[in-house]
Amino acid sequence: MKKIAVILVSLLILNSGFKVGVDTNSKMKAIFIMNFTKLIEWPQPYREGNFVVGVVGESPLYTELTKMAKTKKVANQSLQIKKFSSINEINKCHILYVSQNKSAEISSVVNKLKPHNTLIITEKQGLVEKGAGINFIVKDNRQKFELNKKNVEKYQLKVSSNLEALAFTVK
Amino acid sequence: MSKKIYILFIVSILTSSVFGQFVGKDDLSIALFYLQKNELDSAKTRIDLASLDDVLKETAKTWYYKGFIYKELYKNKDKENKTSPYRITSIESFEKMFAMSNKAEFEQSASKILKYEASTLYNDAARMLDPENYKTAVSNYALFRKTMKLVDKDANLDSRDVQFKLALASMLNRPSDGKADVDSVNIYQVKKLYSEVLVVDTNNPGANYNLGILYYNEAAEIINHMDYDMDIMSLNAVQDYCIGIFLKSLPFMKKSYDLGYKRRETLIGLSNIYYGLNDLEKSDAYKKELQDLEKE
Repeated sequence: MKKIAVILVSLLILNSGFKVGVDTNSKMKAIFIMNFTKLIEWPQPYREGNFVVGVVGESPLYTELTKMAKTKKVANQSLQIKKFSSINEINKCHILYVSQNKSAEISSVVNKLKPHNTLIITEKQGLVEKGAGINFIVKDNRQKFELNKKNVEKYQLKVSSNLEALAFTVK
Repeated sequence: MSKKIYILFIVSILTSSVFGQFVGKDDLSIALFYLQKNELDSAKTRIDLASLDDVLKETAKTWYYKGFIYKELYKNKDKENKTSPYRITSIESFEKMFAMSNKAEFEQSASKILKYEASTLYNDAARMLDPENYKTAVSNYALFRKTMKLVDKDANLDSRDVQFKLALASMLNRPSDGKADVDSVNIYQVKKLYSEVLVVDTNNPGANYNLGILYYNEAAEIINHMDYDMDIMSLNAVQDYCIGIFLKSLPFMKKSYDLGYKRRETLIGLSNIYYGLNDLEKSDAYKKELQDLEKE
């Protein structure tokens, strides 16, 4: 019986492992961003060439977006993901995602993007009042988004009514 | 003529010496005669007949000896067979014996044999905990339980149940050869087993920890397979579902943390679960605790 106990105990110490390589939070955000590309209209010159999504600062979302770009397109445009370490590096892009660690520099981002037709997305409360078009928020553990239609339209982008309906709040 | 008389004489001698002794004796007595001579197959034939006899089948003695003879057959001829029908028949016979009123003189001996048979069933169950044979292991374990309960209906088998279920869950919770993931049917079974363990032993650290991981993985797997083209309405529906699963996972992992089980892995678990719940503050707090632990 002792030998048997050893067999059983050896089985008991085998535990489950976590699914690795799944960034649940970034995956959700990436899907939201893919939706924004369909529910917002960019001016004609922006409908040619690559569809560029920039990420300024450090965010795991960059990795997820890069993964998405390998298989997805925005209409006929190939997705291109760019990483900017500083505000100065930012150049023309369709969407700019401002990561947490660059949130304090939102004013500089807004100024930098004035000549472009860019949707600014942030992930910090209050930034939708400071120039962001869309801000990710968490409500009841769920990823949601706030929309500031005026901020989006400032960049000559058209917001579909569907997007307004799906936003947690619209300003 | 004299030759015929000689043959008849020889036959009558043989009959009286070998078969003659059985004249007037019942099948039970004959079975016992063969048992004494260790002629188990003949004993089996006779005890089977005895157990069909209208009078003999009503006596505890018949069922005791049927159990005994079949136990001997199992022990001597079929020990390596993990599903030996001899062992099963032996246990069933003792079960019938225990249901009879005239069982007293056989009870002690029958209990001893049943305990021996139960231990062989338990051992066989443990040895068969592998992907090919685990179903037999489960039925052997069930028969082990039933046998132990025959000996003592109040026997507490909780710790054995926990040990066996944990071992079975652990075995099922591994991908089959050549596969990257555990089969979804197995995952369902594994969750059920760990939940059953927790009914008996709420503070079982392994069951809590593994259930925490299994629920987390279920949600993570769903999110991992979400299509980037999914519309926002569907995304919200999937989010609701997955948050529900992450919330299911949380109390198990917290319990594992409270129990101090696998500290490092549990901290990773809590950090991951809170991350899934979009509570990045708490996720970071557990991550920090992990970093501090690893510095020690």
